[in-house]
Amino acid sequence: MKFKNLLLYLTSLIAFLLVWELYCQLIVRNPMFLPPSSRVFATFIELMIFGRPPSFFLPYDMLYSLFHYSIGFSLALIVGFSMGLITGWIKLANELSYPIIELIRPIPPIAWIPITILMLKLTDAAAGFIIFIGAVFPMLLNTRHGVASVEVRYLEAAMTLGATSSLTLIRKIVIPAALPSIMTGIRVSSGVAWMCVVAAELFGVAPYGLGYKIDLARFYLATDIIIAYMIAIGILGLMLDRVYRAIEEKALAWRVGLVIA
Amino acid sequence: MSLREVVLSVRGLKKVFEGSPSVVAIESLNMDVYDGEFLCIVGPSGCGKTTLLRILAGLEKPTSGEVLLKGKPIKGPGPDRVMVFQEYSLFPWRTVLGNVMFGLELKGLSRQEAIREAMKYIMLVGLEGFENMYPHELSGGMKQRVALARALACNPDVLLMDEPLSALDAQTRNYMQEELIKIWDRTRKTIIFVTHNVEEAVYLGDRVMVLTARPAKIKSTIEVNIERPRNRFASEFLKLRMKILDMLREEIEKVMIRSNHSLRP
Repeated sequence: MKFKNLLLYLTSLIAFLLVWELYCQLIVRNPMFLPPSSRVFATFIELMIFGRPPSFFLPYDMLYSLFHYSIGFSLALIVGFSMGLITGWIKLANELSYPIIELIRPIPPIAWIPITILMLKLTDAAAGFIIFIGAVFPMLLNTRHGVASVEVRYLEAAMTLGATSSLTLIRKIVIPAALPSIMTGIRVSSGVAWMCVVAAELFGVAPYGLGYKIDLARFYLATDIIIAYMIAIGILGLMLDRVYRAIEEKALAWRVGLVIA
Repeated sequence: MSLREVVLSVRGLKKVFEGSPSVVAIESLNMDVYDGEFLCIVGPSGCGKTTLLRILAGLEKPTSGEVLLKGKPIKGPGPDRVMVFQEYSLFPWRTVLGNVMFGLELKGLSRQEAIREAMKYIMLVGLEGFENMYPHELSGGMKQRVALARALACNPDVLLMDEPLSALDAQTRNYMQEELIKIWDRTRKTIIFVTHNVEEAVYLGDRVMVLTARPAKIKSTIEVNIERPRNRFASEFLKLRMKILDMLREEIEKVMIRSNHSLRP
C-alpha cells in the first residue's frame, strides 16, 4: 500500500519533469526564458553545495527565511492562541474585539509592508511583523471557534466531578476539547506565515532570505536560480506542513476517523 | 434500612424558567433521600425530572426553596453529588483510565495513587483490560460503565443518574440494570435515578417517586418491598408496575386535556 503510493508519486513527478524538459528543449529553446528541468536540477545542487557568486547560497538563505518565519509565526501563535482563548471563553471580550478584528483581518499582509518599512525600517523585525500579521488571524479564529464550541456536557460533567474554577475548566476541558481546532489553526497559520515570508522578503524588508534572493536573481537574468529558489521555497513549505501534520496526528490520536490526507 | 438517616433533603423547591411565557417547572416540592437508598424518580415526559436532578447537582439554581446535603445548603456543583448523564459525557481525549482519574486528579491525589484508585473502580464495573482504550472504541454500555466508575471514584455522598441507560438497546439495558444493582450492593452509595421507564424504576428502586405533570410535584412515593434479585414477571412486580403506570396515565391525560383546551378559540 505504502510502496504503491510511493511508486505513483514518483511516476507523476518524473512525468512532470519529462514534459518540462521536452517543452524547453524542443519549443522554448532559450534557457533564459525557461531553463529545462535538468538544468534547474543541476543549478539546485550547485546552489545547495557550492553556491554561486555574488551571494546565492541556498542553505544560508533557507535558514535565514526560517529565521524570519520563526519570529513571525511564534509571535502569531502566542498572540493568536491567547486572544482566541479569551474571546472564545468570555462573551464580552468577543463582542468588544469583534469589530476591530473583522476590520483588520481583510487587509492583506502585503498592504502592511509600506507602513512596516516606515516604522521598523529594513530589519528582520519588519519581516517578522508582516509574517505575524498574516499568520495571527487563522490562529486566533480557529482557537476562538474551538473554544466557543466546546460542548456544554463536558463542562457540566467536569463541574460535577469537582472542576469548580474557570482555570481548572480551561486547563482540563476547554483546551483539550478545542485541540482539533487549535491544531488546524496552527497548520493554516504556518502556511500563511510561509507565504508571507516570501512576500516580505520580496519587498526587500531584509537583505537575505529566499524571497529576497529570487528577486535579486531577476537582475542577473538567472532564470535557473529563480526556479531553483522557488523549488526550495516549495520543499521547505511542504516540510513544515508535514511536521505540523505529524504533531497533529500524534496529539489527536483519540479522535474518531481523523483524516490524514 | 433500619437507620433511616436523611442524607439529602429538598424544602419548598420551586423553579421557574423566565421567558415569554414563563414556565413553572417545579412547584413546592419537598423530599428526603435516605442514606444508602436507591431512589427512582419517574414522571411524564417534560415534567421536570431532569430539571430537579440538575438542581440537586447544582447545575441549575432554584427560584426558591433549598437543597440540603447532610444539613448544609448546597452551593453550585461539587464532587459530593456527582452526576451521570443521559448522553455520553466521557471526555473523548482521555482514555478509560484517564476519565476515571479525572475527579481523583482534582482532589490532588498523586499520579500513582490516582491510578491505583481508578483501577479499583474500573475493576468494579468490570472493565479491566480496557483501561487504555479511548471512548470512541467502546460500546454504549461500556461507555456508561466508565461514566459510572468515574462518578464512583469521586466517592460522592449522592450519585445522581439522569436516564443513564436510555440510549442502550433493550438487552444491554436489562443487563446493565442487573450490573448496576450489583455495584450498588457492593458500594451502598445513595443513588437518585431518574427514568421514564417504569419497569426500570421498579426493578432498581428501594422507593419510586412519581412526579406529576408540569409543574412537577410529588404525586406519590411507593416503597418497593420486593426481594432482590427481582423477577420482572412476578405478579407483585407486575402489579406495582401497573399501579405506577396508572398514576402516570392520569398525569399524561391531564396534560392532554390541558392542551386540548388551549387549542380551542
